[in-house]
Amino acid sequence: MSEVLVLVENTPQGIRKSSLELLTAARRLGSPSAVLCGAADDAAVASLGEYGAATVYVVPGTDGYLSVPAAEAIVDIAGRTNPVAVLVTSGPIGKDVAARVAVRLGAGIVTDATDVRSEGGVVTTSQTVVSGQWVATAQVTSATAVVTVRPNAIAPEAAPATPAVQTVDVAFSAAATGAKITASNPKVSTGRPELTDAAVVVSGGRGVGSEEGFGVIERLADSLGGAVGATRAVTDLHWVSHDLQVGQTGKTVAPSLYVAAGISGAIQHRAGMQSSKTIVAVNKDPKAPIFQVADYGVIGDLHKVLPALIDEIGKRKG
Amino acid sequence: MQMVRFVLGLVMTVVCLGLAGRRLMFLYRLGRTGQPVEPGRTSDTGAAVRAELAEVAGQRKLLRWTVPGVAHFMVFWGFMVLLFTVVEAFGALVWPSFQIPVVGNWPWFGFVEDLFAIMCVLALAIFVVIRIKDAPKNLGRRSRFFGSHLGPAWFVLFMIFNVVWTLLAFRGASINAQEVGPSGKMRFLEGAFASQWFAKLFEPLGQHTNEILETVLLLLSLAVLLVFTVFVTYSKHLHIFLSIPNVAYARRPRALGGLLPVYSNGKKVDFEDPGDDDLMGVGKIEDFTWKGLLDFGTCTECGRCQSQCPAWNTGKPLSPKILMMTLRDHALAKAPYLLATKGEDGEPTTALTDADKAEAQRPLVGPEGDETASVDEHGARGVGAVPFDMLWSCTTCGACVEQCPVDIEHVDHIVDMRRHQVLMEAAFPEEAGVMLNNLEHAGDPWGRGASARMEWAAPLDFEVRQFGANGEETIPDDVEYLYWVGCAGALDDTAMRTARAVATLLHEAGVEFMVLGEAEACTGDPARRMGHEFLFQMLAMQNVETLNTAGAKRIVVTCAHCFNTLANEYPQVGGHYEVVHHTTLLARLVAEGKIAPVHRVDAATTYHDPCYLGRHNRIFTAPRELLAAIPGLRVTEMERTKEKSFCCGAGGARMWMDENLGTRINLNRTDEALGTKPDVVTAACPFCITMLSDGVSQRQLEGTAAETVQVADVAEILLRSVKPEDVPTPVS
Amino acid sequence: MKIVVLVKYVPEPTATWKFAPDLTLDRGAVEGRLSELDEYAVEQAARLQEAGTASEVVFLTVGPAKAVDGLRKALAIGGDSAVHVTDAAMHGSDALATSLVLAKALEKTGFDLVLTGMASTDAEMSVVPSMVADRLGINQATFAGALSVEGGTVSIKRDSEGAVLEVSTALPAIVSITDTNPEARYPAFKAIMASKKKPVTTYSLADLGVDASSVGLAAAAVKVTSVTPTPARTAGTIVPDEGEGGAQLAEFLSSRGFV
Repeated sequence: MSEVLVLVENTPQGIRKSSLELLTAARRLGSPSAVLCGAADDAAVASLGEYGAATVYVVPGTDGYLSVPAAEAIVDIAGRTNPVAVLVTSGPIGKDVAARVAVRLGAGIVTDATDVRSEGGVVTTSQTVVSGQWVATAQVTSATAVVTVRPNAIAPEAAPATPAVQTVDVAFSAAATGAKITASNPKVSTGRPELTDAAVVVSGGRGVGSEEGFGVIERLADSLGGAVGATRAVTDLHWVSHDLQVGQTGKTVAPSLYVAAGISGAIQHRAGMQSSKTIVAVNKDPKAPIFQVADYGVIGDLHKVLPALIDEIGKRKG
Repeated sequence: MQMVRFVLGLVMTVVCLGLAGRRLMFLYRLGRTGQPVEPGRTSDTGAAVRAELAEVAGQRKLLRWTVPGVAHFMVFWGFMVLLFTVVEAFGALVWPSFQIPVVGNWPWFGFVEDLFAIMCVLALAIFVVIRIKDAPKNLGRRSRFFGSHLGPAWFVLFMIFNVVWTLLAFRGASINAQEVGPSGKMRFLEGAFASQWFAKLFEPLGQHTNEILETVLLLLSLAVLLVFTVFVTYSKHLHIFLSIPNVAYARRPRALGGLLPVYSNGKKVDFEDPGDDDLMGVGKIEDFTWKGLLDFGTCTECGRCQSQCPAWNTGKPLSPKILMMTLRDHALAKAPYLLATKGEDGEPTTALTDADKAEAQRPLVGPEGDETASVDEHGARGVGAVPFDMLWSCTTCGACVEQCPVDIEHVDHIVDMRRHQVLMEAAFPEEAGVMLNNLEHAGDPWGRGASARMEWAAPLDFEVRQFGANGEETIPDDVEYLYWVGCAGALDDTAMRTARAVATLLHEAGVEFMVLGEAEACTGDPARRMGHEFLFQMLAMQNVETLNTAGAKRIVVTCAHCFNTLANEYPQVGGHYEVVHHTTLLARLVAEGKIAPVHRVDAATTYHDPCYLGRHNRIFTAPRELLAAIPGLRVTEMERTKEKSFCCGAGGARMWMDENLGTRINLNRTDEALGTKPDVVTAACPFCITMLSDGVSQRQLEGTAAETVQVADVAEILLRSVKPEDVPTPVS
Repeated sequence: MKIVVLVKYVPEPTATWKFAPDLTLDRGAVEGRLSELDEYAVEQAARLQEAGTASEVVFLTVGPAKAVDGLRKALAIGGDSAVHVTDAAMHGSDALATSLVLAKALEKTGFDLVLTGMASTDAEMSVVPSMVADRLGINQATFAGALSVEGGTVSIKRDSEGAVLEVSTALPAIVSITDTNPEARYPAFKAIMASKKKPVTTYSLADLGVDASSVGLAAAAVKVTSVTPTPARTAGTIVPDEGEGGAQLAEFLSSRGFV
């Protein structure tokens, strides 16, 4: 059975869930081989094995660089193994690696796949295109397929195996080591992310009721690791600072999750958040227009719903 | 003595008229540095004469404010009649027994002269009272005189008083000193009752003294008059001369409604292929037309505009009056540069002082973020002549233009300056850029795009005919109206209710209508009012092509801004349609019995006149007729209503800008509306409704408005009376 | 220093997009625009030029005839000239072919620094910058949240989980720019008019020495077999709070992986 190269990521907390998802997908195409940059500890090898990695290629010497050494390592391994596919997780590193590997191998590349499967021996993918408005399916016709897979798209399934561990010494090119990480500045954990960068935004509107009431918005944002936003009405009332305004005349945001609490959803506000991937609304008024765009809505008093939600999130986090 | 008085009088006259003439010639030359006006402005003599009769002779706009209006009427006509006494005084200089031919010696003539002189004094007393009562030191910014030149204003009143009393005193002395002339006794003085008082006063001094007194007083009265004349040419009081041409060459019927296209050197700028030297709006004081410069010189600082201005009344740095004063000051300060002889490189060939050079270099509009910019007691200060925030505070509501007794075109000047800022400098409040980008890329201010334009009609229980849906290439003959839904009507949740209400009512009345759906785009109003003429032209030409291809003839529209643009501005780009606002059409249908408001709507209401429906387009009665036709509805007018309606704050593209200076315009208006104790506040423009809804919601949150107060379009209230079952509970 | 900015002319995001029978995006059927994400790179280049860091700024695009409008928009923001690679054979090209053509064009224009957006707003792949870097054998610093150039070195800030990385590399290099950089200025009409006078050079594939058979739909190693509209956004689940609203909401967030 052909090999499938899977670029996996190890963290102090263990192998990332998205890497286990890739191993699960890889098993549909062939025999999964994990490519692990950096040191391989036993725990990492064990968990890769648990999810079916037959081989673990350990690539030393990639520390301090972003992604090109990893790409060269995969190209190096692929040169010897002729894999049917190379799977990486969608994201800045994955995209960089996949791009380089595809060029070097002359391989067809699919990004942001939500599904990968083999149809008649051909690697077949599904992905949403055009901001999620269309679903495309594609077949990769080259000998090797390079696919970046969206995290959380494929549920990881265990399939225990005992991996063979191989250390691969790659002679990196000058280009691979040309870009160096000169500093890594840990993000301050107490501060909230920038409104426009945040993956999660929790916004409050007039329905919050008062400046003091806004505390619950901030607590929810903190428990979700998100930023705080507000409607123009709220910033005009000076409950929060003006730079937190989301909407036509404020900031335009497109987070993965947008929580609108006490916001009726006037078009001026929607203009600033309509591209959010998932929208959740809490509002007393069942006719509030925000419910028309919400993926999930709770009709109720935000001062009851949100504290309960914060408690529940706390419990789930453990 | 006769010789002495003649020579003295002649010297005074020559010197003073020389000074005044030199000043007027300087002002004329300064005015000539402006751009030519657009074609047609100066050609309609008939209209100019009618305007002079109404505005100057009839004092039409002044009389809207009864007390100061009547007082000004009295001074104006007082001075007109006093001109005869001035002629008599100059005549007496040459020939002591001079009389105006034919009528000059009739006693009633003398009576009329004195009557008007006394009226003048009475009016002065009224002005004094007004100026003391409304003094800026008592009322602060609420005073319409805040920012005006107060000293000169008092001096003018004082000098008018001096002109009157010296003339009367001279005539009094004349009565005592008179000799019998060729036509006998100067009988006209028998009727001149006020002059008689002075005669009585001076009589005990004896004939001889009175003869001397007559000469002294004659010279004094002429001196006062001549000094006053010179003073006027150097002061804000120039309006007594300049208002005549300013009214004659004003934009007709008024400088409201549609804006003028961009003109450069008197020719319309072609935005598809502009000339290299074309001016794009006003970037320098000399880019204004001569009529603009005339406006600045004519402003008499009365502050009627300021008293009505929504920006000024909410603490923002814009007063139309102060803007005019600022531009006048800048024009005068830049005059040495403007009037200097220029070499081939366009640089002055004569040496200018450093101060003159600095003023020549000074930008017209203060740069964005200029910390030194301010509007202090007597005008604006900052790097630029006009502070940035002053320019951008305007809602283009037109209250200033409506009020101005001398037909100054404030809004046009503001838009012209914005045009330069946007087109040439790309300098405007940053947040409005989102709207401009959305207009350019999505065709609506919110960036929803054409595909969302029919969502509003989905909940209706009948089908709204959409142009092109059945492959038609022109609007079918059975369609009476093309219904222009507008971006708000199509995309804003609140305005959608109005759009549906109007559609339902037309449907009920059996009026066949059709909408453009995805083919409709923003009319370009916010772009144009921001000064982005290029974007306006693009949108307008696109819409006109759509409408002309479809063969649109009659258009009904719910948005006051769309109405104004379609009706008044699209003819400039080849779109000629019969455009009707929904309130007008609905009022007609109600009058014809095609719509029957039969169900009682037990509610108190007040009606807010949208600026672009009312002041700009004079539609005041149709919405009121509709409200009056609804049984049970009780309408209470706000104090600021119809022509004096107070803006909601959304006009002039202010809808798309932050309002961080002063207090909020919409709250000011909301509070006035709430003062009528309404159950529902009505308006007839989606932007007004958004602003008033925001205002009411805020007051409800603060607990100062009842939770039950609603804001709705007139059409929605009408629908409640026609088909109450069709009206959903509005979302507050 | 010479900067070449790679830009793409994409369909308006608010327009209704359609696919042609060959399952390529029907670009003729919708209005196009300069990709919003590329505008950040255009703005950065303009700023570097204004700061005197860049001596020359060229915009480069590959696309149909109308793509020149995207170049004009870029030229209204800044820059000196533009290069437009257009060839009927490019229709349906994948990222590999696009990167090949861009690399050839870059060899022709010459450059010290290549800037581009973090992704196109139509294909949304984010792979072209790395591909171009690989083809040209130059350094890359992708997904730059901020950028500075000093001497022969370009430094970026890149967001990663838990930390902001600082990455430096020597020129020549390619940098892709994220939308946390300053937004593109709103061009004045004056600048739009001036942009019409800036030179735009057009190249065909033959001009670049690219074999037409190596690009286009036929050469693509990925064959799209179907494109179907995503099921209309199903009306969200709206529940009244009967005491369980918070818990229900937590469950929903959990199902979407947010908790």
